[in-house]
Amino acid sequence: MSSAAMGRDIFQAIADPTRRAMLNRLQGGELNAGELAKGFALSQPALSKHLRILREAGLVRVAERGRFRVYALDSVALRGVFDWVSTFEAFWPAKLEALGAHLRGKANG
Amino acid sequence: MGEIRLEAIYPSPVGAVWQALTDPVELSNWLMPSDFLPRLGHEFTFRTDPAPGFDGIVRCRVLEIEPERRLSFSWAGGGVDTVVTWTLMPHGDGTALTLVHSGFAGVRGALVQKILASGWKSKLLKRLGDKAAALAGQGAQ
Repeated sequence: MSSAAMGRDIFQAIADPTRRAMLNRLQGGELNAGELAKGFALSQPALSKHLRILREAGLVRVAERGRFRVYALDSVALRGVFDWVSTFEAFWPAKLEALGAHLRGKANG
Repeated sequence: MGEIRLEAIYPSPVGAVWQALTDPVELSNWLMPSDFLPRLGHEFTFRTDPAPGFDGIVRCRVLEIEPERRLSFSWAGGGVDTVVTWTLMPHGDGTALTLVHSGFAGVRGALVQKILASGWKSKLLKRLGDKAAALAGQGAQ
């Protein structure tokens, strides 16, 4: 299952502006939790919760680097989100063209 | 805010465009397979290929129908709960057709709007693309 449940987690994860800002920050490469949280007024539990949600949604991966845990973007999960949004953007223009072709077919038939 | 609005001009007369929008066979031909009927309150679906988080079924209900002028139906699927409205106006011998897809509600709908509005998607996608290209380049060496 649950591509549907997984999809929901991803969308909820990136609906939050702090988590989106963290994802943007991770575009530059791996960061540890302190670097990710810099500039946000976040308690430790709040930070842990954001990181957990991002991890569970499959948006970030965690690795051990010496004594630090570092976070990195998981672009595969993000691709899924963007594909979905792109589908949506492209849908109606394509359909209006299809309607035009249909009408031309009717006029000629 | 919160809507997609598109306009198209077709050389066909209003009657022909209206028929393409409301005849179930014609509608299924250019939009998606559907059991639409031009009747107020009629519940129907569009069916397409499933995608992650979307079972491929759009569930709809006719909300407004004013022959050769206006057709509106609800559109729920893939986490969005929205309304599609077609408006037809004569344009010379042809037709000006306006599509408004509005009422984005729910997590995904709100998110889609946010992403579309912020440019976040293209910015992030571009960087991910650059990164993927860089990785591919490394692999080739």
